[in-house]
Amino acid sequence: MFVAGLDTQAHPPQTPASPNTSTTPQSRQDPFYVLATRLRDALVSQRKVAIWQPEKTKTFQVVLVDKDVPFPPRKLLRPEDPQYSSSHSPLSPLTPSSPLYPDGLIAPIWIRKHTTLVPSVFVVFMRIYESPTGKDEREREAEERKRDSELAAEIAQRKKSTNERSIKLTVVLMASRRMLDDPSLDARLTYIRRQSGLDPRAALFVLSPVSQAEIGDFVRSLQEALYEPALEYYTNHSKRVRRKRNRHSQVSSYQLPMSPMASAGIARPLRPEGWTVRYEFKMACFAEFRGEDQVALKHYQDAYSTLLIMFGSTAILPPRTKRWAEAKVLADCINVKVVKLYLYNNEHSLALSNQNSHMRKFADFSRGWGIGEETFEFWSWLARQHRVLAELLEQGTRSTLKIPSAYPAPPPSAALMAAQALEASQLGLDAMRVLGLNPNQALQHPGFYYYMAARCTERRRERFLALLEAGGDNNSPGFVNERKVDHLTVVLELYTRSYELFKKWSPQNVQNPGRLTLWIAYRIAQTYYDSGKFDMAVRFFERIAKTYRRESWEPLLHPLLTQWYKCAQQLGDVDLSVRLLVEMLSYGTNAVADDPDALQDDLLAVLQSTVSSVTDEPLVVDLSESKPIVDAAVVFWDPAVDVGDLAAFQIQLSSHPHVSLSSLPFTSLAIHFNEDVPAVIVRHAQDDSQVEVPSVQRIDLGDLVVSPAPSEAKEIEGTLRWGAGTTIVLVGSVSSQLPMHVSVAKLVLTIKERSWWIEVPIVPTPSSSPLIAPRWLASVDPPRFIPIRREDHSGVHVRYRSHRVQVAIVHYGPAYLGEEFPIEINVTNGDDKELDVAVDVLLQPTEIDEAVNYIAMDDQRSTSLIKGIACGALSPGVSVLKKLYLTNAGAPGDRVVDISVQSQSRTPASASPAPTSPAPVSPTSPTSPVPAEPTSPSAPPTVDRTETLRTISVSAIAPLTIAHSAVYKRSTRALLGLSDLRTYERAKRPRDEADAVEAEVTSTLTVAAPAGIVIESVVLQRKDGERAEVVDCSVDKDDFAGEWLAGDELCDRCRIFVVPDEEEPDEPIVGPGEYEVTWRRVLPDGSHGAPATSRFPLPPLHPPSDGLIALLDAPTTARLHAPVPLRLTVRNRHPTRSANVTVQLEADVADAFVVAGLRHGRIPILLPGAEESVTWNLIPIECGLAKVPRVKVLDRRSAVVVAGQGQPETASTEGDEIKIVDVRWDGRAEPGVTGIADGEQVGKRQDAYVLVLP
Amino acid sequence: MPPLRLNAVAFVSPQNHPILIRSFAQGQDELKYHYIAHTSLDVIDERISAAVASKSTECYMNLLYTMEDVAVYGYITPLKVKIIIALALTDSVVRDADVLTIFRALHTAYRHAVANPFLRLNAPIDGYNDHATVLQAGNGKWQTFRKRVDDIGKAVGVVGVTA
Repeated sequence: MFVAGLDTQAHPPQTPASPNTSTTPQSRQDPFYVLATRLRDALVSQRKVAIWQPEKTKTFQVVLVDKDVPFPPRKLLRPEDPQYSSSHSPLSPLTPSSPLYPDGLIAPIWIRKHTTLVPSVFVVFMRIYESPTGKDEREREAEERKRDSELAAEIAQRKKSTNERSIKLTVVLMASRRMLDDPSLDARLTYIRRQSGLDPRAALFVLSPVSQAEIGDFVRSLQEALYEPALEYYTNHSKRVRRKRNRHSQVSSYQLPMSPMASAGIARPLRPEGWTVRYEFKMACFAEFRGEDQVALKHYQDAYSTLLIMFGSTAILPPRTKRWAEAKVLADCINVKVVKLYLYNNEHSLALSNQNSHMRKFADFSRGWGIGEETFEFWSWLARQHRVLAELLEQGTRSTLKIPSAYPAPPPSAALMAAQALEASQLGLDAMRVLGLNPNQALQHPGFYYYMAARCTERRRERFLALLEAGGDNNSPGFVNERKVDHLTVVLELYTRSYELFKKWSPQNVQNPGRLTLWIAYRIAQTYYDSGKFDMAVRFFERIAKTYRRESWEPLLHPLLTQWYKCAQQLGDVDLSVRLLVEMLSYGTNAVADDPDALQDDLLAVLQSTVSSVTDEPLVVDLSESKPIVDAAVVFWDPAVDVGDLAAFQIQLSSHPHVSLSSLPFTSLAIHFNEDVPAVIVRHAQDDSQVEVPSVQRIDLGDLVVSPAPSEAKEIEGTLRWGAGTTIVLVGSVSSQLPMHVSVAKLVLTIKERSWWIEVPIVPTPSSSPLIAPRWLASVDPPRFIPIRREDHSGVHVRYRSHRVQVAIVHYGPAYLGEEFPIEINVTNGDDKELDVAVDVLLQPTEIDEAVNYIAMDDQRSTSLIKGIACGALSPGVSVLKKLYLTNAGAPGDRVVDISVQSQSRTPASASPAPTSPAPVSPTSPTSPVPAEPTSPSAPPTVDRTETLRTISVSAIAPLTIAHSAVYKRSTRALLGLSDLRTYERAKRPRDEADAVEAEVTSTLTVAAPAGIVIESVVLQRKDGERAEVVDCSVDKDDFAGEWLAGDELCDRCRIFVVPDEEEPDEPIVGPGEYEVTWRRVLPDGSHGAPATSRFPLPPLHPPSDGLIALLDAPTTARLHAPVPLRLTVRNRHPTRSANVTVQLEADVADAFVVAGLRHGRIPILLPGAEESVTWNLIPIECGLAKVPRVKVLDRRSAVVVAGQGQPETASTEGDEIKIVDVRWDGRAEPGVTGIADGEQVGKRQDAYVLVLP
Repeated sequence: MPPLRLNAVAFVSPQNHPILIRSFAQGQDELKYHYIAHTSLDVIDERISAAVASKSTECYMNLLYTMEDVAVYGYITPLKVKIIIALALTDSVVRDADVLTIFRALHTAYRHAVANPFLRLNAPIDGYNDHATVLQAGNGKWQTFRKRVDDIGKAVGVVGVTA
């Protein structure tokens, strides 16, 4: 789009000076000036010309021109010329003055013409005349009419030239806001349009000064209105070109030139293929202008394929001509276009395949043209192809292009997979992706293509240099041109861009610069080296080497070091050279088995021919990041030794195979230990250097003693020469008076040659390979080694000897529950030093229920730990005895006690400085803190202390066991019954209670202690309660003191009144007292231990309950013929039921008695808790044991119930017989006691007997 | 489809130290394949982190990149040993199944090599070190591994693509 009339340089001359702006500078205040500026900005800034422009918005590329800008002539001749119709465009190959005449294809100027010189639409901004206010109406109209006519004429002029090229002309009239409201405006506009011959549609706009946002809107609407005409413009062009192409393709069989001028035969005219290329290219361009990418692609491909046909024949396109070169460039350009259009569409593999096939085809052509792979031209061209692609991709990736990853993350869901499959099947393009992909068509980021371009350029340089060497003075224009090219700068530029892109595309990681970038950095460094910028190269080498060393990629390091060394040589940096040579020696760079001396000769040469930059201090070659120059392994024979003992060690220094160090003048080797071990320096002793270096040499270092005072380094002489793969073994031993960890900190090899003083520190490594166990040299000739299969072979722990302290523990188990069980701890100092001894005791918690145990020693008592019982200082040979008392309660079982005896030497072994000597523990203070253990277990304890641990297990048993049994007797006292008020009063003591039961408890104490105990006393402690009361017991009367042996028993009987709980008859009643047995242990020596007390409570009581019961009370003895009473008491103990009872005395003729009293009768109904007595008088008539007449008591109540149920068997009986209990034999066991029925009589007597005396 | 041609094979330890690098292309700079193996680690690292992010357990890392005349493919064993192969670049589709077959064969060769009990012959009993064992497997002393890898390299060229 051409835009004219927005000229901000010159002011519109006819701008009327309005009154309010006349005093101010117009340029600032004029709203039209501001409007024009803003319009310019809005139009120009909306679209920048860029290589990568995939988006298709309806925007125009705007070129600002003058209102009357001329267009380039369509044809050479004036239109008035009669030959005008048959003449051609000035750019046509048919025009003799054209640069393409006669057989050129197309020129870049053609594209320029269409992009910058000829617009598709032309927009003119103009001011419409606005007459100042206040003028006469008619005068104003006339003026306006005059001005409008002028404007129309101007537009018409412009319109004429645009019409010629069928370019759409649009006029934008700028008017003030006031003008817009003027009713005469419409008429004026119509007039202007008619006068100037503008199109009726989208050709005339009116714009007044508006805000920035509204300008944007205007620009958008303007373009939208003009977009169609612009498209139409280019479509027409395309149509025209297609017509011409068709004409050509129809006549393509003729070789007849189209123009009569060409028949002059100066040169052969353009062939039909050429015309096809030309027209296809034009159509492609126009399609591209229209934004129809697919159409453009098609035309470009057609042009390209036709071009290939032309290249295929040297007749059509003779090589190495101007036209041929042009065509080649054109082919390259079309290729780029095709690739770009594919990429717009995200068809990466098609784009790349196009690119690849282009390169392949033209590489083939190049071979035919004699510019194959052996020429720099070829590589220059290939580099350009790669570079163009890289630049295109770079441009693309800056905006919309996405580089696909060849590693798609596996689909997270089946749905996505299906979607992908569907997509693939729909596209059909990526169908092959399912199986695999063509690696050649995988799009990568542009860094790769820059890299390729750089590589090609390197080859180009190689070819060029080869040619330079061979030819010398070749004067072909290509060669002359090539001479001017600074290849290395180009290479460097390409590598640098590639480097930057690789950096950009690699994952962001600060620590790791990325290995791909390192590789390119290496190439950059090499290029710097080639171009002689050694300092730059060195800087790169330094950075790269770090990663390669860390990841131990030696093959990569070798060429790098070699190159680096060459740089250092070039720079004349001798220090760096020496460093690098030493490192190369360590790596065995370039080492070959048949020439092991090569590297050391280099180093020697440097040392002998140069002077070090520093002479007063050594040049330290630190190889800690890379491999050491000789492998150093330190082996100690023992993992730990006592203070003062010698610890043997060996240091093995092995040179690498294939690298000989035999002529390097090592002067000394310093061995630095950690801690205070004095350093050892081995000086090289001059010997006959011609002698072959033996594979294993041994140097004796002697014994080293660590002393607190700093001592001089020991010096020893030895041969410090290594051949290829030989070993020097340094043998020595070290002893220390203080505990410490001795290891070798570092070894320093020193080379002194002329002015050079080089130090190579070596940190000993466990072994050259972790898979090879460290070895101990057993014999030098023949060399024999013993593998040391130990982890911590590289150091030795020196520790204090453990003290010879004997701990004896004596106790006479088992322990009895309840006593203080004595345990004797006997500590004897068997050492030759005076020792402070302290004892800790820990009682392990038990899992036994209710076990409450504690230990006591001296004045401390604890349930778990007693700490720091001081035993004072023990002189050698002295022993101390400590008694520990263990008290156990609860259940029997094992108790575990840990006893720790700590001994600490009173005086440090040597007069070492304060930090290592512990403050002696005061023997008088038993709670003084024990010095803390060293925090690190690996560090040897600086305190000379030994701990002796003992664990004992003591089983605890009960010394006495007890067993109880109880029987219950009914009371013979009369029950009061419900009707008596006293029933409801509570008695003060259980024995006064009417319904109290008498319980008789028999307790059997058995001695279980195996050794026997001394019983001091057995007492029943009474604890009479509301429901139970001890009446008497047998232990009150006797004294049982004395020594009892295991198995001895004591039986005690105890009478207790128990009042059963009517509400809760099942609840046991707590026994009203406990036996207290005081006893002592009998010690093995016959003496008695401390008194201990065991308590055994009386058992809980379960008095049985009764229902209806009859108690028969008969006298024990009777006199013959003297009457005795026989009383029967029927008692209703049932809590709720009343009783209906009959009594029946069944006299028998055999009876020994004469009975006086009730024979058969019914007792008044008994309420619950009531009783009734029946008394008979018996007169014995026989002597001896006589049976009392049988009495039968029947409960009629149950008979009634049974009769009611109509059971004939039991209905005949008169009721249940009630049990009759002879009170003299009464006694019932507790309910639930096995073997005896509930409430059953203990005495089995059914009948009562009376002994009748004469 | 033209047969695949295996130009080089590289085994790299989990700590990114080279175990074994063999190149089969005649007359070519072996160093180049060292560089390719080393630089591939970058891409492999990237892929591993992508795989971790997506919780993938896929061993096959697909095409890593193409450079000059080779296409570089990667594979990572479950114990993080990386296997990298460089295939000669041809303008044809390389089937993933074929590449995977090569990788499986190489993985098997590696497994056999590491299983060699004699690798640990001189090892200290307690100084157990897996990494060293792995590196040792590529040592020149152990010919079988190299031979096996070379056989695979030859077989790839001879058999070509299984239809």
